[in-house]
Amino acid sequence: MVGFLGHNGAGKTTSMRMICGVLPPSEGSILVGGHDLQTHRAQAARIVGYLPEGSPLYPEMRVVEYLRFRSRLYALPDPAEAISTAVDRCGLKDVVKRPIGHLSRGYRQRVGLAAAILHDPSVLVLDEPTSGLDPLQVIEVRQLIEELSADRTILLSTHVLQEVEAICDRVILLARGRLVAEGDLPSLRRESGMEDASLEDLFVALTAKAFSEGGVVS
Amino acid sequence: MKTCSAIASRDFRAFFLFPSGYVVIALFLLGNSIVFMGDVFVQGQPATMRSIFDFDVVLLLFLCPAITMRSICEERRLGTLELISASPASVASFVLGKFLSSLAALVVILLPTLFLVVLLELYGQPDYGEIASGYLGLLLVGSMYLSSGILASVISGSQTIAYLLSVFFFVLLSLGREALPAWTGPDAWSMMKPFDPFLRMQDFTIGLIDSSNVLFFLLVTSWFLLASIAVLESERRS
Repeated sequence: MVGFLGHNGAGKTTSMRMICGVLPPSEGSILVGGHDLQTHRAQAARIVGYLPEGSPLYPEMRVVEYLRFRSRLYALPDPAEAISTAVDRCGLKDVVKRPIGHLSRGYRQRVGLAAAILHDPSVLVLDEPTSGLDPLQVIEVRQLIEELSADRTILLSTHVLQEVEAICDRVILLARGRLVAEGDLPSLRRESGMEDASLEDLFVALTAKAFSEGGVVS
Repeated sequence: MKTCSAIASRDFRAFFLFPSGYVVIALFLLGNSIVFMGDVFVQGQPATMRSIFDFDVVLLLFLCPAITMRSICEERRLGTLELISASPASVASFVLGKFLSSLAALVVILLPTLFLVVLLELYGQPDYGEIASGYLGLLLVGSMYLSSGILASVISGSQTIAYLLSVFFFVLLSLGREALPAWTGPDAWSMMKPFDPFLRMQDFTIGLIDSSNVLFFLLVTSWFLLASIAVLESERRS
């Protein structure tokens, strides 16, 4: 699980959108599972699952209808099996027949996650998946994300540094659209000479350094 | 094709999940019934749907944008356009799916008017060839309105603007048709004539299926759809 950190406007969401093929890179190329997103977008899309910020859904659809729609969008060979697996993993059994608009934010987030894993992607991109949730919902969704990370790579963008500290193996720090630091937390602390610092202090120090230098730190 | 049908069937169902869908159907049937009772269902009048079709060309101009105004604006507003963009669905299949769903909705809107044809059959001897030609014309004109509505929905940020933009375009065309000959003389008008969809629809109404008219509507519809695809593609690339 990789934590994607940065101040507001650092370029986290833009980078995630580029990785998911929603936006093109202004230069260079992006390879997902060996597929160039510019030339083989459809193939790359099949191995990436995406949950944008706020979990956009169609409120008038029932959960199962929405998942059926998404499975058709990905032309899944066995939609019933895929839906059943996603429903089980995301704990949606009790609400599958309910309209999405009637669900709590926590459940809507789960529906978004179920849709993102429906095609069993090897990479899951989650943009602020716990934002706007109450503390109990945060714990539930965080647990779910941890479970999902067992068999796939997860790229997680969040402002909650404790979340990153709790569940991420690696951290990518962005500032002004550039990579500032990357690695696991102990090595980042070591390299910055802040071995006892909290992630918050580390984040502030590395971002400030990037701003003062006006470019890439590492 | 699978992704296209997924988008089309989702949108088609959504059309009937909102009261606006039923309001559109009810308004269309009400308008048709009033014209039918006032203009067609009168003793001594020929058993023809001509005045209904003439009326429908204008009515559809206002109803078709109501079908399409939600299509892409709503996806943008909800943020679901981002999810579609991240899926393997191509922009072309997305736009085509939107168009097919609105065309299917148009068919459902037109279906209840067949009841008026049944009434004609009961009290007269209607020319079914002419009626079929009229319905084909309505579908072709409707397709043109729908595709322009989809383009309006792509380029505008709100449903209301999308609706007004689409209606405004054809109202302007219609007004131009009335005003142009007076301003520019008959020569300029005769140059514009081949581009007048309302004039072309008149042939269908009298039972004349001219291949050039069919081609005209198909080409204009395709142009609006291709323009919608181009705009969405350019958004994806910028």
